[in-house]
Amino acid sequence: MLAQQILNGLVVSGVYALFSLGFTLVFGIQRILNLAHGAIFMTGAMVAYYTVAAGGPLWLGFILAIVASGLLSVLVEIVCFRRLRRTGDEEFGGIISSIGAGLVISTIAQQVSSTQILRFPFDTFPVVIFRFWGLRVSMLQLFMAGAAIVLVLVLGYLIYRTGFGRRVRAVTDNEHAAMLMGINPNLVYSQTYFIAGALAGAAGVLVGLAFNSINFVMGEPYLMFGFAIIILGGLGSIPGALLASLVFGMVQTLTIAYLPSGLTSTIIFAALFLILLVRPHGLLGKEDAGNLRGRR
Amino acid sequence: MTGAIAGYLPLFDLYLIHLGLAFSQYIVLRAGVFSLATAALAGIGAYTAGIFAVNLGMHPILGLVAGTLTGMGAAVVLSIPLARLRGVYQAIATVAFIQIVLSLNIYSESLTGGAMGLNNIPKTVGTVTLLVFAAGATYLIWALERGRIGRAFDAIRQDEAVAASLGISITRHQTLAFALSGALAGLFGGLEAYHAYALDPNQFGFHLLITVLSYVILGGRNSVAGPLLGTALLIILPELARPLAENRMIIYGIMLIVVINYLPKGVADTFLDWWRARRLGRQGGAP
Repeated sequence: MLAQQILNGLVVSGVYALFSLGFTLVFGIQRILNLAHGAIFMTGAMVAYYTVAAGGPLWLGFILAIVASGLLSVLVEIVCFRRLRRTGDEEFGGIISSIGAGLVISTIAQQVSSTQILRFPFDTFPVVIFRFWGLRVSMLQLFMAGAAIVLVLVLGYLIYRTGFGRRVRAVTDNEHAAMLMGINPNLVYSQTYFIAGALAGAAGVLVGLAFNSINFVMGEPYLMFGFAIIILGGLGSIPGALLASLVFGMVQTLTIAYLPSGLTSTIIFAALFLILLVRPHGLLGKEDAGNLRGRR
Repeated sequence: MTGAIAGYLPLFDLYLIHLGLAFSQYIVLRAGVFSLATAALAGIGAYTAGIFAVNLGMHPILGLVAGTLTGMGAAVVLSIPLARLRGVYQAIATVAFIQIVLSLNIYSESLTGGAMGLNNIPKTVGTVTLLVFAAGATYLIWALERGRIGRAFDAIRQDEAVAASLGISITRHQTLAFALSGALAGLFGGLEAYHAYALDPNQFGFHLLITVLSYVILGGRNSVAGPLLGTALLIILPELARPLAENRMIIYGIMLIVVINYLPKGVADTFLDWWRARRLGRQGGAP
């Protein structure tokens, strides 16, 4: 029983990792908390659903979802944050502006879906269950875990092993110095937002498949969990977000399995509060986080 | 004619209640605290007042006092951990606080009615009572910001280091702002409870946070006119054209993006600044 729960927890962790990696990447590079990230995640699930509903194959839906959420994320950056960064009010203004973007996106999704819960037609994903060592694993769970691992590895390669990754890290460290080195920060920002949105969109499709329930507010709980994860990992830290997703997915699965279910979110958010108090820079974040800084 | 006015009375009541909540959000932002806890504090006040009336059968005045005090108490307790955090971290912590209050509210079914909400609250608050309290709150905020405390808030918001070097206690002033914010949220939450017959836990969630924040951002964060105007505009606007009302949330969203980007001081404050600059220009131009 415990081993089964741990296995389920690992699959959930993979989805959280996809969602929160983009969230933390964007914060790391711009110190902006993009609250439209949940709506972008939801858009991914919706695009995949409508592709399948229109008769397209699932793999096409998956690719379209990733591209569409990536582009939407770039659009949010251009419309909501670009001007704010010039006026230097991005910490406060970014939150307000992205709340606005999230509202617009999810209200449009509400109207497109007529406020209904959408379900993939039966057999969109083959229902195959493997049993070994007394454990049950569905093909879908294997696919989710596989997709999460592949995407995380691709991201790691991009950030730590390519010229693009070096540019991203340079702009993260010091935008002005990076500009003097001939890097166009706006281009780097657009690329980063595309990756962040694409990862969120992929997570959206996986969650939509796993629970087979897609609606316009499905991003909200993930946005809330995303907060907890990126704070626990340290705002802006990629390895931190990975580690925190793992911890968070396990803790959530185990508390749902072994504790009164009504209290799960109370426990999670109380824990978030405690982390902010004891260690605001999280497990792997930089020390300066949360200290007095010039702001607003 | 009276019929037409009576038709708009519920809208006016809504304005008065939301004005109180907008002031609760305004006062913390004014003091440089990025707290979004107003929705949760209003929920605490509303449920306290509602439980006092329904379960204990108390007089509404006692219920309102209790709502105000619990709102204030919760805010003061919340201000202790928040004093250690800044900026984005404060915002996240207060959003977590809203979630904690919401899920505890749904969980403790025997006391709050859980997801079903609290029903059959006797309606004891009418437009006149609301008007008196809203006017009182407006006066309180206005008086506060004209005095020493208002200037201290401005100094803290603009630069904490400078404020501290001038001998302004940052913790004490931000705790004061929190206490006021909690008291206002608790009071107007309580008024809402006695005005609306029933309370629903999700009423005090993320949605209310966005609504109240929109009022303050649209109106302005630096003068009492901001919340007054912002709340009025956002409540009246969807009523002027029905197609707009169906897309209320899109309007709020676009408004948040446009205002924070192009009019970051808000409508009222931008206008006041322009007006003052014009008057100064005239005086300077005279021989």
